[in-house]
Amino acid sequence: MYQPPSLLEKWSQENNELVNKCKQQEAGGGAVSQDHRQSSLRWCSSEFHKLLRKIQGIPPHVDHSQLELAVVYNTCVCFTAQSQFSEAELLLKEATERVLQVTGNNADTSDPLVLWRAGLKSAGNTALHPHVLYLLCLQWALWLAKCQLENIGELQEQMSSLCEIVCDGVGDGSPSEAKGRLSKSPLLVMEPKRLTELLQICTSIAQGAEKLNEGRSSEALSDLQAASALPATRALVAYTHLLSGSCLAHMNRPQMALQCYKKALETDSRCVCALYRSMLIYRQLGNTQAEIQALRLLHSTLMLPPATEPVLGGIQPLSPSLLLSSQSLSRLLSVPSALSVLYSLALKCVLSGRVTEGVEHYLDLLAALHSEDQHAVDAEVSVLPRMPELYLEAGTALLFTRRPADCMAFCNEVISTTLELVPEKVVLEEPEEGIGGDARGLSVEGEDKVAMLLWAAAAYLVQGHCHAHLKDWKQAVTHYTRCINLLVKVHLKNRDFQPQIPAADVNVKHGKDLCTLQRMKGLSLAWRGISFTQMDQLREALRDLQLSLQAFPDYTGAGLWCGEVLWRLGRKHEAAACWEKTWSLTTQTSVERYLILW
Amino acid sequence: MEGRCAVETWAQFGFSGGSYKVKILCGFGTDVLICTGTEEIYVFSKRERKITTVLLLPAAVNDLVGNQDKQLIYVACRSGVYRVNLQFLLHRDQSSQADASSSPAELKISQECLVVGADEVSSLLLVGSVLLTLCQRDASWLLTLYKTPKQTASTSHKEFGSFNLPVVSAVDCGAAESNRGPRKGSVLICIHSGDVEASSPSNASAESTVAQDHFHLEPLLFKLLFGVEAALAKSPVILCGLPDGRLCFLPLRLPGSCLRVLHSLEQPVCFVGASVVTETGHAQCLVAAGEQGRVALIKTDKAGPEGGSAVAAFTEGCVPGPVWCGCMDKSCFYYSTGADLLRLDLLEGSFARESKERGEETSGMTAAALQSPSSLNVCRVIALAEPACSTAGDVQLLGVSARGQLQRICLPAGRVDEGSSKLPSTQVSRSVRDLLSAIGDVCERASVLKTVIKSKNQFLRLLNHAVSVSFLLMADTTTDLPIKEKPIRCHFETSWSRLLQKDSLSLVCFLHNSSPFVLERGWMLSITVSPLSYSSSPAGESSSTNFSFPFHDLRPGQTFEASLPIAAAGDASFPMTVSCSLIFSLSSLLGEEEVAASFAGLQSSCISLPLSTLTVDWLHALQLNSPTATHKMATVQPSSAAADSIQTFLSSRQLRCSGRTNRGGESAAKPEPEKYSASVWVSSEIVRDTLKPKKSSNLDAKESIRDPEDLCLSLLERLLSEDTEGVKMGCQGDKIALSTSVAHARGPNGAAMKLSVKEINVGEEESTDKEATIEVQIESSSLAAVCGLHHAVLRRIQTLLQSATEKAASTKNVQILGLRRALQRAEIQQSQISGAFGEVVSTVQRDRLLLSVYQELRRNPLLIV
Repeated sequence: MYQPPSLLEKWSQENNELVNKCKQQEAGGGAVSQDHRQSSLRWCSSEFHKLLRKIQGIPPHVDHSQLELAVVYNTCVCFTAQSQFSEAELLLKEATERVLQVTGNNADTSDPLVLWRAGLKSAGNTALHPHVLYLLCLQWALWLAKCQLENIGELQEQMSSLCEIVCDGVGDGSPSEAKGRLSKSPLLVMEPKRLTELLQICTSIAQGAEKLNEGRSSEALSDLQAASALPATRALVAYTHLLSGSCLAHMNRPQMALQCYKKALETDSRCVCALYRSMLIYRQLGNTQAEIQALRLLHSTLMLPPATEPVLGGIQPLSPSLLLSSQSLSRLLSVPSALSVLYSLALKCVLSGRVTEGVEHYLDLLAALHSEDQHAVDAEVSVLPRMPELYLEAGTALLFTRRPADCMAFCNEVISTTLELVPEKVVLEEPEEGIGGDARGLSVEGEDKVAMLLWAAAAYLVQGHCHAHLKDWKQAVTHYTRCINLLVKVHLKNRDFQPQIPAADVNVKHGKDLCTLQRMKGLSLAWRGISFTQMDQLREALRDLQLSLQAFPDYTGAGLWCGEVLWRLGRKHEAAACWEKTWSLTTQTSVERYLILW
Repeated sequence: MEGRCAVETWAQFGFSGGSYKVKILCGFGTDVLICTGTEEIYVFSKRERKITTVLLLPAAVNDLVGNQDKQLIYVACRSGVYRVNLQFLLHRDQSSQADASSSPAELKISQECLVVGADEVSSLLLVGSVLLTLCQRDASWLLTLYKTPKQTASTSHKEFGSFNLPVVSAVDCGAAESNRGPRKGSVLICIHSGDVEASSPSNASAESTVAQDHFHLEPLLFKLLFGVEAALAKSPVILCGLPDGRLCFLPLRLPGSCLRVLHSLEQPVCFVGASVVTETGHAQCLVAAGEQGRVALIKTDKAGPEGGSAVAAFTEGCVPGPVWCGCMDKSCFYYSTGADLLRLDLLEGSFARESKERGEETSGMTAAALQSPSSLNVCRVIALAEPACSTAGDVQLLGVSARGQLQRICLPAGRVDEGSSKLPSTQVSRSVRDLLSAIGDVCERASVLKTVIKSKNQFLRLLNHAVSVSFLLMADTTTDLPIKEKPIRCHFETSWSRLLQKDSLSLVCFLHNSSPFVLERGWMLSITVSPLSYSSSPAGESSSTNFSFPFHDLRPGQTFEASLPIAAAGDASFPMTVSCSLIFSLSSLLGEEEVAASFAGLQSSCISLPLSTLTVDWLHALQLNSPTATHKMATVQPSSAAADSIQTFLSSRQLRCSGRTNRGGESAAKPEPEKYSASVWVSSEIVRDTLKPKKSSNLDAKESIRDPEDLCLSLLERLLSEDTEGVKMGCQGDKIALSTSVAHARGPNGAAMKLSVKEINVGEEESTDKEATIEVQIESSSLAAVCGLHHAVLRRIQTLLQSATEKAASTKNVQILGLRRALQRAEIQQSQISGAFGEVVSTVQRDRLLLSVYQELRRNPLLIV
């Protein structure tokens, strides 16, 4: 087949112009928007593809192959950058087949691995070899992006030799010769050396995450530590440290893990995940102060405006995020939203006795929730408690800081919202397995009536506490009575169901509801009893306190007060027995969050 | 007796539709904005009572929302969402309008105003500083949130979230209905909990965005429908009605919320609103209306089932007529069916309910209220807005009629008492006038409907015909009738004609309709002419030509005749394939403008029924020179004859010259351009056998067939004029009585050629049994002509023999086989020649190729015994 000599030059000129245009757009890409980048990328890939089709319109030929492979490389880079993996893969396959044709071998397999091996072998030591290697780089990138790590493992030796060759800068032959050839060879959109470096570290990270996921922590650790020495951007190096930390945490070496997280943060200050992971370790270690500190830092980092990616020698068309899309990795890198971090912070502060600080955080959280800037955009299921519970927790915290008026306002809010919806009668059925599931998934209309009732009752209970705090015993009795009246609307369906408090770890919804119900009954009755005691209505007080002990025998306060009332009534033996019994109880059980505070 | 409505036409704008989503946007001072689904938005000034400005958008407008505070409007077009600063525009407009106050100013909205580049946004909503867009993407509905900038100057609208809802298969509604009714759109409104105003810190901004798509719902109902959390978070709730009938909601400010379905109307939602407003300004009833009249009322039922707490009660009912558009005031829902404007008093229903005992009767009562909307006798309203209640209790509505009129509709006071019987005479005359105009409107509408029905019937009839004809033709292909007996058949005739001193061959097609159906509007005869051998076109593009002839009522028994030029002399490649088919196209049936408007994709859709495919070969395209005619032609038309001979001479010269230059001395030894010849030998026995049936119809010709001279003559006659496969050579002037068995003719490429038939004996030297053979010899100086004609003659003889074998069975099989082989060879040779001429190869190669073909032709005398 005869071809005019100018065609090859024309094509290679066209290729070089396109590459230059691409690079220009990327160089100026810092300022322009993501949209613009996308569209220019789309344009480039279609142009490259057009050129490629022109070149592939004629049968493969040795003279053209070098140019053709370069254009295939450029086209595939553009396709991959747009996540059009299947198109890119098809191009690579065709290119390999054509290489085989040129070198006189025929490909009768569709298995990519076999095809690649054959392609590399046939191209070996010819001028085409470096170009075939570049394409293998891209195939590598595709496998990585599609999380097909096993394929990469299969071609491990080829890959490592590839790294050596590509990173040395030249292929085979003497340097001067190579240089002469390189100057003539067509331009490439992305330097293969840089691509290889990127691929090496990304592969290490992805493989590390995979191994960590499979529980092979120590194996992953050595790989990751080796990878941390590879040349790469700060963010990627930080990832290797982060994953090493996770491996260590998995191997029960929290202090070393903390060191790794610290290194990750030092490498890349925006590595929030490291902060989050450290916080989890502090929590695990029971170091509350450090945990609060980490939470605070995490929150303020998350509140920062989203980072603009630092430009390191121009934006590359292939970004690391494209190559690091495996699920196990994203699970490792996920960080809760700013709001839930704030919530954890507030709760932790209150529980660890830094109530004033906690109240501030609670108020910040509620303000954030009410602000116009807050929008329902968190795709992940929020770990925040439901709104009324948040109100009640905040209210209780306020009461702790001796702001009963504010607390009452919060409770009023909850009561006014929920009370209208509380039914006359609620039937609480025997706990059933399988009902569990996300409460937010329930239809709104059938929103859990029990929850509504418990919220209203709890709000009354806290209001009662407010009045008790103000020593307004009469009002307190009124509110405790309202609470009790609400609580008795709940009917247990199963008669022989033991009204015994289940173990604290029962997470079945209704079991939890039942537990809360009993506990609240006990508390409200006990506190009405206490209020009656303060008002010297000892008979009523005794009745309530005894009922309270029936409902919730673990509450030591009721036992103590019961003894007190009995003593005052002159029933000293009974009082003594009561006290004795109360002291013998081991008291520490975990209680619902907003009730443990009392 | 109901009070009558007064309709006052305010403005008329050029607008022909009725199939678009029309929207009226009020609240910009005295300006009203109207979008009609076209690229234009009209700004009507209530103060001046005229259209002051027309905004021209780059694409058709789907939706329109406004921010009264900042005097901004957002317009959703096909191509994206545009933001228009109305105040700026109108101010500029006023200054420029001082001089030309009569006609509205036209303002082009440029691409600079594009703020969101999403296309096909179907609905928009503005909540505070958040712009929401709803659009359908592949298999899901996408609700996207954009942050609008604080400064009006900046144009950046950042997307910060989106919500998905998978599309369910659309509700099956009558195709005709959706075609004629308003275009399917979606509805997007915002519901605020009643007590937001009291507690919201940003009261002012919340107030300013409250417009016709923002409603304040009673807190209890709000909580029941959207949950306690939304109420506690003081979050507005976005409610969207989708064309598949679903009513979905999204608490805007609740973390982790998602789009959930509230209700399904099972027909496209065309209106959602809230009404029955109490003194505190909270609506007590949420109303959703479907396109076909299903209305859902959602209220609080204070006493739920089993004596529990309050529940949300969904009452569904059907109101008459399709709902084109609707609007709400404090107690009523107004909607238009296109034929009438109706009022549904929602307060009445709830009053009735309260007075009754609770229980099953309640829903019954509300449903009953739904059954009886009161008619307001205003027809052709396609958009409604801005109900305003005057102090006297009159309600005023703003409407757009199907004829493009902006109307102010004044309704009489809500529940008029019977006292209106004694009306003053002026009022009587006014009401008579109203009645008359209403009758006129109804009449007009009726006539429109009649014509629609008529044209639909017509369409159905035509379609029925089309289907019948299709079945008829399909049955033909399966039963394989001979061509003569087909109900719709066509045959062809070739004829040479002379126009502007240039000979051209035309093909006349006769289509005979012997089916019981009339071929009328919508039917077309399509004829495709393409060369049999494709190698002649160098670029590989098929050089076929297509002709189509629309029919105008071809009745049963009639014949349609169409003449098509297939070649001018000298530039045709024969043989060529002619295939004809009947085409029925839907687009021509429906009429052009309707098709263009509604189905862009339908234009190419048609039914194609193949009729027949035939071949026009060299014999058909021969120009016969009768012995006398040759002479005559030479004298009468000397110029053309001279031109021909010059042409022949030149071409022969050229060939020689080129041959000489290329091959040097060698070719000098070659003889002068010789005549090429080819011959076909046929056993005269077979010829006699096959020609017999035709001749036997002539009573006295039986004997003459024995004469070999006669046999030759009749064979030649048969070759030249026989009707093969429905193609016939047209009569050449007067029918030439062939006196000799030699015919001189000119081929379609202008080459002179000789066709002679004579009887010879061939069997003598090779075998002992002597076979009387007829030789058909073709001679010409043009190789292509020889080949082409040879091919044609072989084809003819093949058909002759095929008809013979029906009687003379097996003995002739061998001969036919031989004939077929020869036919194939001839075809190969011709393609080689065409290939030789077509490809760009050196002349040396071409000559060599041609020579080899020629030699092969000579080497293989075609003996048919």
